Amino acid sequence: MAKEGDMSLFNDVLEPFRRVINTDLPKDKLSASAKLNFSDSNQSIKEGSTTLFSSIKRKSGLESPTPEKRIRTESGSNSNGPPPSPWEAKRLKIDLIAAKAQITKLEARVNHQHTIRKEMQILFEEEKASLIEQHKHDERALSDMEDRLKLIRRRELEIKEEYNTAIKEHKEAKLKWEKDRSDLQKQIAELKDKLLESDVSSKDQLSEMKRDMDELLQALEGAQQEVQILKKEVSKQTSRAEQCSTLRSQLEKQTFELQQITNKLKELEYEKDSYKDWQQQVKTAQKRLTNMAELEKEVGRLRATERSLRDSVSNKLLLEEQVHILTTKVEALQPVQQELHDAKVKIASLESTLEEWKNVARTHGIENARSLSSALDSALSSQLTAVAGCSQAQSQSAQLTEEIATVKFERDKATTKLNDLQTVRKNQESLIHRLQKRLLLVTRERDSYRQQLDCYEKELTVSISGAGEAAGGAALLAARVEQLEKALQSYRDLLALHDHEPNTKALELARAEASKYREEAEAAKREVAKLRAQRDQLQMHFEKLAAPTKILHLADNPAAAAQKQMQLELESAQEEIKKLKAALREGGSSAGDDALRAQLENSRIKLQRMKEEFTSSAQEYRDVCYMLLGYKIDRTGHKNYRISNMYAESSDEYLTFTLSDDGIEMVHTDYSTTLGDLVELHLHQNRSIPVFLSALTMELFTRITMQQTQC
Amino acid sequence: MSQQQTKNCITLKGSAQIICEYLKYAINSVLFQRGLYPPETFKAEQQYGITLLISEDQQIKNFLTNLLTQSEEWILNKKVSKLSLIILNVANKEILECWDFNVQYEDGDAALSKEKNEKVGSKDLKKIQQEIRDVMLQVAATISYLPFLDCRCSFDVLVHAKTDCDIPEKWAEAEPIAITNAQNVQLKTFSTSLHKMETVVSYKLAD
Repeated sequence: MAKEGDMSLFNDVLEPFRRVINTDLPKDKLSASAKLNFSDSNQSIKEGSTTLFSSIKRKSGLESPTPEKRIRTESGSNSNGPPPSPWEAKRLKIDLIAAKAQITKLEARVNHQHTIRKEMQILFEEEKASLIEQHKHDERALSDMEDRLKLIRRRELEIKEEYNTAIKEHKEAKLKWEKDRSDLQKQIAELKDKLLESDVSSKDQLSEMKRDMDELLQALEGAQQEVQILKKEVSKQTSRAEQCSTLRSQLEKQTFELQQITNKLKELEYEKDSYKDWQQQVKTAQKRLTNMAELEKEVGRLRATERSLRDSVSNKLLLEEQVHILTTKVEALQPVQQELHDAKVKIASLESTLEEWKNVARTHGIENARSLSSALDSALSSQLTAVAGCSQAQSQSAQLTEEIATVKFERDKATTKLNDLQTVRKNQESLIHRLQKRLLLVTRERDSYRQQLDCYEKELTVSISGAGEAAGGAALLAARVEQLEKALQSYRDLLALHDHEPNTKALELARAEASKYREEAEAAKREVAKLRAQRDQLQMHFEKLAAPTKILHLADNPAAAAQKQMQLELESAQEEIKKLKAALREGGSSAGDDALRAQLENSRIKLQRMKEEFTSSAQEYRDVCYMLLGYKIDRTGHKNYRISNMYAESSDEYLTFTLSDDGIEMVHTDYSTTLGDLVELHLHQNRSIPVFLSALTMELFTRITMQQTQC
Repeated sequence: MSQQQTKNCITLKGSAQIICEYLKYAINSVLFQRGLYPPETFKAEQQYGITLLISEDQQIKNFLTNLLTQSEEWILNKKVSKLSLIILNVANKEILECWDFNVQYEDGDAALSKEKNEKVGSKDLKKIQQEIRDVMLQVAATISYLPFLDCRCSFDVLVHAKTDCDIPEKWAEAEPIAITNAQNVQLKTFSTSLHKMETVVSYKLAD
């Protein structure tokens, strides 16, 4: 039983192995056919499996000592074989378990190998795809490379051709250069020959130079010797010069002494001359002394004459004094004489007037002086009374004027009232007008009513005539008419009442009210002013109470300064006024006034002179302009100038210019239109007025000279 | 953080300086706008981001420096409650216009003051200048409604100080002023967080 159980267990264990082997083998074959690379690993697996198999077989062999034995045993006695010992069974079990473990291990390994293979397969497939791509890429690259190779080959061919040509050229060039080299070598040889020649010549020149040098050195030595000689001479000469200078100083001294001597000589000569003069003077004095006696006689004579002359002079002085006194007397008498004359004239006039008076008095019937005086007194008294009357009249007139003023004032009041009344009246008139209109309307109404009434009456009469039954209706109508008329009358009365009484009453009332209101307003105003003052005072008081403060300010504030200045100005002004008033009292013409007048006169004269000077210089300037430029320039108005040429044929030939902001412009005149060419040439093309004017001058001048020559 | 604090810290002295600088520019501006002095004596200056005109007159300059140095000291000691720039007619001393600059004292930033052991404010200087600029623009705009000054005018600045304040050299007590029939216009106010400046212009309303 145990053996059977073991066997079945063995079979159970082997079963998966078999399955694995059965299933694995065809798979391995498939994979081997698909992938040659994996053949080795599969083979190893196969080997693994075979070894496994063999080991299992071996184990099974162990079960029975040998297969042959087993076969023998089987063939010997199939059912009655020796039963396995327990040790063997144990060992078999252990082996089996180990085998099982190995199998599981191997299975795991196989699985692992499978997964690896699958991964590898995937990897290899990916690599394959990449390799295929690379292969394609390489193929493409290859084809490109081939193309390039072809190109390169072509280039190579070209380059080879170029190389050949270059070689040819090189050969040719080489030949040329060789030729050149030979030429140059020849030239070098020639040059060397020349060099040798020149060396020789230079050596000759050098020797010559050396000779010259020697000569020159010799000359230099000579010159140095000469220099030394000359130096010696120079020293000698300097010594001589020193001697000469000493000599010169001596000479100067001598000349100075000589000059001194000559001066002395001159002095002496001068003294000699003066001595001679003295001698001559002495001679003349001696002569005069001889004439002395005669002279003394003459002196006596002259003294006598002098005395006589003095006497006459004193006489003359006396006479002069007398004359002077007389003249003064005459002068004093002259006014007296004049007075006398005047008095005489006056007396005559007075006498004439007296005569007149007397005549007048006589005419008045008064013979005596007393009567005249009385008459005069009476006249004076009458005059006094008249004056008193006059003053009275004046006072009366003043009173009257005052009265007039009051009356005027009243009149003004009245006029104002009148105006008010007039306005009121106007209002009333307008009212009346309106009322009249109303009245008219009412009368018309009344008329219309009357007409209606008439109509009714007519109708009534018609109806009465038509039918006598309407008599009652007519009575009714008449009653109605009466009533209406009564109403009308009452209306009229009302109108009349309205016209007069209420208006006047209302007016008066209104006036009274207005005056009342006015008075009230004035009272209110007064009250307001009072209240304001009170309010201010109270406010001040309140402020004081509210904050006990004291008010401070800088003593030197602008307001005080301004007030001081104002005061000073006022004082100075008042003083000036006083001064001026005093001056006025003293008299209008003071010294200062005279001085001012004199100054005024002076300045007037100066102005006059300046004007004259200005006019003369202006005239001169104009003349010079005319003479130099040949044009007379006149200012005909503001910025307008008229110029006329010196050689113009008539005074109508002139040009006008106006000064504008951007220069000067010519204005068209009758004359300028005749100068079309010149205007076109000089003004429009050259744009120069001076040139135009000069050209005009030239033309006019030539024209005049031509005329003269023709004449 | 600490840098930020130091940046926005305004001391009492700095605040007083800001106030006095404002007064200087405001007074100059009024003098120019109201035509008290000829316009050619004024020079344009850039301040508070706008162009303001400052008088070049040496007298005015001296007056203002004297006034403002003293005022700064007083403002530091809280002695001043109001400064009044009055414009008066020189001929009859009538007050025509009065510019009141009311100074109010504020507490500033309490926390920062404690930290610094000194009274300081923490308002941004740029914001203060912005406020001052607004007031200045208003001052310039007043010319449109203030009455025309057609007489010879001058000005003075009155300082309303506390009664216990000493009168320094060159200073004197002045009479209180009153404008008859006055009209008040309140301009914008600005504050440095230590001082609050209120500007009021009162002028004589023409009948």
